[in-house]
Amino acid sequence: MTRDKQIVDYAKGLMKLASENGTFSEERASAILQVLEKNPPRNYAGVLKEFLKLVKREVANNTAVVEYAGELSPSAIDGIKSQFTNRYGRDISVTASRNDALIAGLRVQVGCDVYDSSVAGALKELEATLS
Amino acid sequence: MSSVIEQIEQQIANLQTKTVQSNIGKIVTIADGVAKIEGLSEAMYNEMIEFPGGTIGIALNLEEDAVGVVILGESTHLKAGDEAKCTGKLLSVPVGKGLLGRVVNALGAPVDGKGPVESSESYPVEKIAPGIIERKSVDQPLATGIMAIDSMIPIGRGQRELIIGDRGTGKTTIAIDTIINQAKINEVGLASGDESFRPVYSIYVAVGQKNSNIARTLGVLEEAGALKYTIIVTAGASDAAADQYLAPYSGVAMAEWFMSNGMDALIVYDDLSKHAAAYRQMSLVLKRPSGREAYPGDVFYLHSRLLERSARVNEDNGNGSITALPIIETLAGDLSAYIPTNVISITDGQIFLETDLFNQGIRPAVSVGLSVSRVGSAAQIKATKQVAGKIKLELAQFRELAAFAQFGSDLDAKTKAQLDRGSRIVELFKQPAFNPLPIEEQVAVLWGIQNNYYDDIDVSRIVPAAASIREFFTTRKEVLLVSIREKAKIDDELGAELKKAYDEWKPSFA
Repeated sequence: MTRDKQIVDYAKGLMKLASENGTFSEERASAILQVLEKNPPRNYAGVLKEFLKLVKREVANNTAVVEYAGELSPSAIDGIKSQFTNRYGRDISVTASRNDALIAGLRVQVGCDVYDSSVAGALKELEATLS
Repeated sequence: MSSVIEQIEQQIANLQTKTVQSNIGKIVTIADGVAKIEGLSEAMYNEMIEFPGGTIGIALNLEEDAVGVVILGESTHLKAGDEAKCTGKLLSVPVGKGLLGRVVNALGAPVDGKGPVESSESYPVEKIAPGIIERKSVDQPLATGIMAIDSMIPIGRGQRELIIGDRGTGKTTIAIDTIINQAKINEVGLASGDESFRPVYSIYVAVGQKNSNIARTLGVLEEAGALKYTIIVTAGASDAAADQYLAPYSGVAMAEWFMSNGMDALIVYDDLSKHAAAYRQMSLVLKRPSGREAYPGDVFYLHSRLLERSARVNEDNGNGSITALPIIETLAGDLSAYIPTNVISITDGQIFLETDLFNQGIRPAVSVGLSVSRVGSAAQIKATKQVAGKIKLELAQFRELAAFAQFGSDLDAKTKAQLDRGSRIVELFKQPAFNPLPIEEQVAVLWGIQNNYYDDIDVSRIVPAAASIREFFTTRKEVLLVSIREKAKIDDELGAELKKAYDEWKPSFA
């Protein structure tokens, strides 16, 4: 087994430990990091890097990053949260940020899925059809 | 200008506030035309991946947390961190008659400066080959116009006949001759108004060749008037390995359109050695494990899935066909190398061209002993069978005995007769490049050798004699040629007419 593969497998094992009933737990993840600090494994830096990558991906898969132009009411955010929780069958948290470049509408990203209902996105699509 | 504004206004009016879902990823590394992308969780094998600037790639390595994408065309503007997007479409190319007379790249985009290609349909480049039930036996000839091949190694519609030989032995010439001959047959057939006539459309796929060679081929086809029945798919030596890998599949997708619409197509892959090398290059960059001669383990599958798509389908499936002429370049005549043996085992026969014969001036340099057509005489008209039945055997015997030729004085009469006859057949089969002969002319010439009309002509004068008899028939006995073409067999009446014609010609040549 190559060193890279060992690191990846080890990080995946840590990721399993960081899950509680199939969902990622921040508390367990920080406990894992404390244990690793006390007893660092071989290729410690590599393991940490790989673990960080997996954690980032897990967080991204469970987070709906909402970009909006104009105003977005708390009830709309709740609506988005429940919609995506139903869609993906897991608890999706929402982080919202204002982005006036969208002109109007929303852009939501969950992991590598992007849902674009903004005017900027529609214009981009129109541009692609015209070129 | 006003029409453009109107068009844009209409499109803006049609804009709906709909949500567009897409699946994206980020380039992690990019090198040698291959990008490793994180994300793209929905990517399919062979899916087109869109990059900034409209660049397209194909997803070939689907890993657990990354996708290996081979970029088609220019990739220098791409960098790590750029976004890539799934298109949801498997790689497909435009198909249809609008491509005839055009030169396109591996993606079906025109590269001949004649404007956009007229095509309303597209076919996937990767497709499962027709199954057993859909097929039927090969029973219709596909004449190459080369006497040595049409008489001894006949090719049928739906067959895969490999053209193999060293560099510079005339492999491409045979393929081009075939395309030209089919164009000539198309001209005659379509002009005759015969509704049962089935034209053959050709696709010439140039893989890894110098652009000057491709341009020369294009010029030859244009000059012969064959371009209007031909599509040229080009992935030259200067194109990316991915384009070279893709071009044959694009070509066969275009050919499949003809087959699935009940027409006949001929596809030339020139050449599959370079195709395999391009695939090897791509696979190594994708970090796939290498096997024999550093080719990846699936190099046999690479060619088998390509050549299996050539078929003759039955009436229930449109009665169309794809005939394939793959070309393989050998090194020092080594047929037992990896790629040649693979392709020999996939195809239904091979035409082996020998360097020695070529250098002796025997062109086309067909090796009779090593060339076979596994379809055999099923792909010959009866007239050819009647006049050429024994020729291959006689020529093979001649080659066996040729070693004794130097002891000419010590030979018995039978051996000497065989050598004399063989040397005349060899001379008769000499044919200049890009000069395919109609099957009726071939029959007329071969009838002469079968009936010993060349026996008293000196070997050195056989070539002019053959030219003379052809000229005699085309200028003075055209009715006879037409009747050979229409009857497709030599009955007693036709035999008598041919005898009379030869008796008339013989004194004029002597």
